[in-house]
Amino acid sequence: MKTSLLKVAIGSLLSGGFLPFAFAQEFIQDLGSSTIEAEIQTQTLMEGLREDDDLKDGKLEREISTTIAETIRNEPDVAIRSMGPAAARPVIKGLSGSHVEVTEDGSISGDMSATSPDHAVASEVLTAQRLRVLRGPHILLHSYSAAGGVVQVERKDIPFSDSLFHGYVTWYAESGQPGYATAVGANAYAMGLSVKGELSGRRMGDMQTPDGKLKNTQIENSSGAVGAAYGIGQFRLGASYRWFDSDYGIPGGFIGGHPNGVDISLWKHDLTLRGLYQPSGAMHDTLDVTLRINRYHHKEFEGETVGAEFAVNQEDLRLEKIMANLGPLFGVRIGAELDSRSVEMGGYVFTPPTRSYGASLFAIASAGGWRGLEMTFSGRFGGAFFRPRESVVADKDAIEDRNFALWALEAEFSQRVGVGKFLTLDVFRTTRAPTIEELYNQGPHLAAYTYERGNHKLDAESGYGAEIEYRSYGELLSWRAAAHGTWFLNHLAPRASGDTNWSQLLPIYQVRGDEALLFGASASVQTVAELGLRASAAASYVRGIFRDANWGDMPQIPPFKFHGELGYIWKHLQASAYCDFALAQNFVDLYEEPTPGYFTAGAVLEIRWELALAKYSLVFRADNIFDADVRNHLSRLKSVMPEKGRNFSAMARVLF
Amino acid sequence: MKMIKTISLALLGIVLCAFFSACGDKNSVSTEQHEHFEVEGWNLYWSEWDLAYSVYRGKADTSLKALHVNANCMSEHIHVKFLDENKKEVAGPKDDEHSLGWDVGDKKILDIHWEGGWGFHLKGLKEGETTLILKVNHHDHADARTPEIRVVVDKALKAEECPFQEDEDED
Repeated sequence: MKTSLLKVAIGSLLSGGFLPFAFAQEFIQDLGSSTIEAEIQTQTLMEGLREDDDLKDGKLEREISTTIAETIRNEPDVAIRSMGPAAARPVIKGLSGSHVEVTEDGSISGDMSATSPDHAVASEVLTAQRLRVLRGPHILLHSYSAAGGVVQVERKDIPFSDSLFHGYVTWYAESGQPGYATAVGANAYAMGLSVKGELSGRRMGDMQTPDGKLKNTQIENSSGAVGAAYGIGQFRLGASYRWFDSDYGIPGGFIGGHPNGVDISLWKHDLTLRGLYQPSGAMHDTLDVTLRINRYHHKEFEGETVGAEFAVNQEDLRLEKIMANLGPLFGVRIGAELDSRSVEMGGYVFTPPTRSYGASLFAIASAGGWRGLEMTFSGRFGGAFFRPRESVVADKDAIEDRNFALWALEAEFSQRVGVGKFLTLDVFRTTRAPTIEELYNQGPHLAAYTYERGNHKLDAESGYGAEIEYRSYGELLSWRAAAHGTWFLNHLAPRASGDTNWSQLLPIYQVRGDEALLFGASASVQTVAELGLRASAAASYVRGIFRDANWGDMPQIPPFKFHGELGYIWKHLQASAYCDFALAQNFVDLYEEPTPGYFTAGAVLEIRWELALAKYSLVFRADNIFDADVRNHLSRLKSVMPEKGRNFSAMARVLF
Repeated sequence: MKMIKTISLALLGIVLCAFFSACGDKNSVSTEQHEHFEVEGWNLYWSEWDLAYSVYRGKADTSLKALHVNANCMSEHIHVKFLDENKKEVAGPKDDEHSLGWDVGDKKILDIHWEGGWGFHLKGLKEGETTLILKVNHHDHADARTPEIRVVVDKALKAEECPFQEDEDED
């Protein structure tokens, strides 16, 4: 029993996720001792076990798809909001938009994907080394939205490593959206200086559905990165530059959409400067300073005309101190973050140009308690400040500076209730500042077939929630089950006002804050054997209701979904078959259409081997084998066409 | 060691130069936002004075007959005026950015002849009934639109039998 638990923990530890803690290093050094388990804090083990859920290495290779959202689609509580295959963004526990932060190497991604369903996440999934859906108190290190989550994309663009030379080549192709993607990267180290270079390209055609080709869904991406790091005594300094260019199509033909669709062309440039000060020379005692300068530009072409244009200039400075121990506390991280963001719009967009600023302090620490009960507390405190400029599209009375004081807290109580059995309870306060669209937008939203009216008098969103989770790691099976609920005192969302814009003949949706209850559950189980029979299953459910006269349903809430897999693992080969199903979603908001359920099946064949200091992986997938008609409740296109039909894909990777 | 430091600084410099030369401070939008023409209703007149169709805040005046035109014939000139929030008539925009647009339900039954400005003719193609949506186009979008307007195309007439002759309008 202990061996299984240790295996899981070791796997987590070796992933590097919680190496910062001194006791973790001691744990590694003492491997083989059965008494070690008792010396590890429950919180530390829990964090490691959670990191074991991350998509990395073979697990990432198995799941990799066109976008980040598609790749993490089978993670617990995750759904996909989309408007064509390129414009897909993760939804966590039924919350989307600015409730879900996407970070790249710990810094905010800086694109416009949270603001509209036709905006893509400006990040190439094929270059990701690890994808993580951050849960629990650590969310507050990056976001105020404890009820939502953070999707972390890790690439290590600044190569703080001393590996002499390593690299990778990845190639991906599929038939469901005929095309390919390639990424190549290499790191080198000599005399204290480490460098990284990476290039990727993606060319994919129109998506094939059971009802035929969905026109104007092509994707062309290219990205690249260069990075360098150098160590001088107790200091390590690094810089990286990443660019991402994308041209993709948004199909038309649905209510409110452009008849012939829209072609979107965007680019994003990120410059990151990072410095580490390590007085003891170890990662668990580090002062980390990161400056991210981000430029994003996005044009939407409707035929030859530019229908919409966005320019974002963002700077983010983050200071963080990591300490393994501080008196009775352990796993301590304290920091501050300052950011400045300027957003300009052009064309048929009805939000005035706005500059916003953010400042926050954050901290997390764990402590031992009564009878092995451990507690982790995290908090984020700060403010958001909006400075809109006058514009012909905005109501002059609505051009008002707004300042928001924001605070979020989370406490996690964890208890080892047996060998390899953990019970945790999280209680939190969640908040977020309104977006500039929620504050100042006044105009039609063609993608949603609504006329959206912001509200410059809005208060910050706030709510209180809890999540209880049980995890069990046994000799044969590991499983987890969790239930969560959040009571929003002021949930910000555009709601039908009952009025109509008579010029456009569109229903007016007014952004307002309402009391709302969001609750749900997820569970997963999997075998732990590294050879032989392998099985796993996962299910998620969430329900959202507004506390109004009718207890009306919240819009865009994903239905119950299930993923089950059965396979066999040989030394170099793994074969599995899987099925996915979702129930119909009939809990819908006003003007929202119900969505039927679906069932799909597929198969995966993985081959891995090592030769001449290199690791080789081949993954062949057959998804939606029966060409089922899949309608995603969170897709704007569900009324026009189903999702991707039968799809054969291949992924090849060489790590050297 | 000195060489390594020099290389490090050079790399950092290259990274910074690449970034600032790639975007620098030039990242701003090149497409202007435009003020949009907002109306609450539409009045359509046969030859400027005879009210043919009226809609205000989505409700059409049901006391008026449907628009009629004979197949093979052109209708009288229809002039478009707009209603503001106080139901006062206002003229359409006179700039080059706005223009009259339309969607015909069945293009085999009805066609529109636009002569510039805020006026047009119905052209009956085939006997039957269809719908017409008028729009104020602004660049590639509609700032305003009517609900579906019922148009009846009556039996075909010979050109000389049409109640309205094109040259009458020109006069």
